[in-house]
Amino acid sequence: MTANTAPRTLSPERLRQFHDWVDEYPNKRSMLMMVLRLVEEEFGSITDEGMVIAADLCGVNVAHVQGMVTFYTHFKRPTHGKHRFMVCATLMCALDGNTDSALAQIQAKLGLKPGETSADGLFSCEKVECLADCDKPPVVQKDSEHFCSMKGPVLDAYIDSLLAKEGKASTDYLGKAVVATDLRVSVLPSHYNFPGETETGARHFDDKDAYLAPVAQGQAPRTTTVPPALKTPLTAPVAGTSFSNNSEDAHV
Amino acid sequence: MSEPVKTSVPFEPILTKYINEPNAHTIEHFLARGGYEVARAHVGVTDPATLVGIVKDSGLRGRGGAGFPTGMKWGFLAKGTGKPAYLAVNGDESEPGTHKDRHILEKDPHQLLEGVILTCWAIQSNHAFIYLRGEFILGYERLEAAVRAAKGKGFIGKGIFGTAFDLKVTVVRGAGAYICGEETGMLSSIEGGRGYPKIKPPFPAISGLFKCPTIVNNVETIANVTHIIKNGADWHKQWGTEKSPGYKIFCLSGAVKKPGVYEVPLGIRMADFIEQYGGGLVEGRAMKAVIPGGLSAPLLTPEMVENCTLDYESLASLGSMLGSGGITVLHDGVDMMSAIYNTMRFYHHESCGQCTPCREGTGWLEKLAHKHHSGHAAEGDADLLADVAKNMRGRTICVLADAAAMPMQSYLQHFRADFDARAHEPAHAARHRTARDEITPAAKRDSVLHGAPGVADVGMGNRE
Repeated sequence: MTANTAPRTLSPERLRQFHDWVDEYPNKRSMLMMVLRLVEEEFGSITDEGMVIAADLCGVNVAHVQGMVTFYTHFKRPTHGKHRFMVCATLMCALDGNTDSALAQIQAKLGLKPGETSADGLFSCEKVECLADCDKPPVVQKDSEHFCSMKGPVLDAYIDSLLAKEGKASTDYLGKAVVATDLRVSVLPSHYNFPGETETGARHFDDKDAYLAPVAQGQAPRTTTVPPALKTPLTAPVAGTSFSNNSEDAHV
Repeated sequence: MSEPVKTSVPFEPILTKYINEPNAHTIEHFLARGGYEVARAHVGVTDPATLVGIVKDSGLRGRGGAGFPTGMKWGFLAKGTGKPAYLAVNGDESEPGTHKDRHILEKDPHQLLEGVILTCWAIQSNHAFIYLRGEFILGYERLEAAVRAAKGKGFIGKGIFGTAFDLKVTVVRGAGAYICGEETGMLSSIEGGRGYPKIKPPFPAISGLFKCPTIVNNVETIANVTHIIKNGADWHKQWGTEKSPGYKIFCLSGAVKKPGVYEVPLGIRMADFIEQYGGGLVEGRAMKAVIPGGLSAPLLTPEMVENCTLDYESLASLGSMLGSGGITVLHDGVDMMSAIYNTMRFYHHESCGQCTPCREGTGWLEKLAHKHHSGHAAEGDADLLADVAKNMRGRTICVLADAAAMPMQSYLQHFRADFDARAHEPAHAARHRTARDEITPAAKRDSVLHGAPGVADVGMGNRE
């Protein structure tokens, strides 16, 4: 987790993907679910600046994007670990202690209980609801990897392989401090202005009809403006510090 | 039960026939087994009304849970509105216990796409959305690849199969919300919003996606369309019962020897299904209850299972439902209070929060179930549960409140003694205790959950 990263936009490849989708969807707002996935890929998680970019690309308010990101639980947030373990805890997996055994193994290796992130921000563990592979419990997802019957030596070996990839050992985590995975969104700085936004009023999105109008012969294809750099870099929450939802200072 | 079951007709898996072959998801494999031939033969040729008629005659019912007749639904689509019509395929598959669509999406996506093409021609829609749950990562990749491959062959896009019919297919990925499996919740999500269900009427067939006429069908339903159009309505009706014709994919999980996904004709006995396909119960265990149609379906006791056949009517007559076909067997060691707490936690977590009876009701159910689970319930708490559950049903925009209340009511009906055994605090003492606090580890250790003889605490993922 890095603090004070310079403002970025989506990579050219992802922007091209976005423009490909423009023809697939009746309006820009409906691309939001998929654009948030692009943001997630680009930044590794849906950061504050990623939300601003998604809002700009889809022509919606950032508040709406925040509402989406907090409603849908599968989006990765900056306070999740780089390696995010999701253990299914719904009845079919939980029967016969399968969920508990997977959670216990993760705790034994990484010292993490559900809802916790390691202090170095590398690993996090959480209980999630049904992952739809109920005949082979316990079901575990690690970011975009999906595993069935994840117990015993298989799970242990997998965690070991991740530790080895990061150059860490279990001893780096056991008995060490952890942080709670805080999934709240932080508040955008009040002095951030969207393009076209006035000091007093919200931005109006009246370009939809023009955007949806068919492109005439010989006319340049539609493009979407990529948001300009933010005036103030947004601060990503730093592991180990709690961040306040109502303090202006948190972003200065 | 009362209907004659056509058991004499031999049955081979149809939808899941190729799912165990390694390259069944590729277009080459699909074309080699005659893929897209049905679509080629009908798109731009057959009168769409004829196709709707075939599906209507076949008696195909929605496989997503509600079991609404598919052909009839297509017939409701508003025509002459001047707006585009949409097909929205529901691949959210979020009902716990169900994992059938996963196999179609991951292992045979072209089968679904051919059904989409035929359905779009039948309802004269030029744009189909396929909504997958966010957790289906492989399914999304394979379906995307399948759409690209079909586009490359001219089966999707402008002027498909050389006709004047255009078809766009857009794959949308959700992000982990159970409520997006509800049809209007899914439409809200496709429109780029939180997955809030919309009040009905107007039904999606009149005003759905982007306020245009929309048909919403489950993945399995759409996959069936190709086979029905190819072989005819009578072919489909040779299996199943009079009112539930055809075959269905069932997902078996829980305490059976061979859990998995099995495609069987509707109307077979549930006990036979568990015995013959699931290999019976695991060694040394007896059956305590069965969840027949996903987590929201009311429980069946072993006696009810004996009298139950796998069709919509039989399960409805037993006060339960066939639902999405996710059958879970609970063995005699399962602590029912643990199970109901887990279930209620799920619904509380997944309630979208729009309607008060559901937002508050699921929270109450979870808290009260937790009190029973931890042994701190008071006399009368079970009655309170029944009261809350009763008042949640039918009072919300969508059926999530009912989905939470139904299992609670069935647990109360069949396992009331388990609830009462945990309610060992007099009401006046419990009045000063809120649901979640004061339950210290020591109190937990001493609670009846861990001390009661004969009840194995199997650890139900309920650890705090």
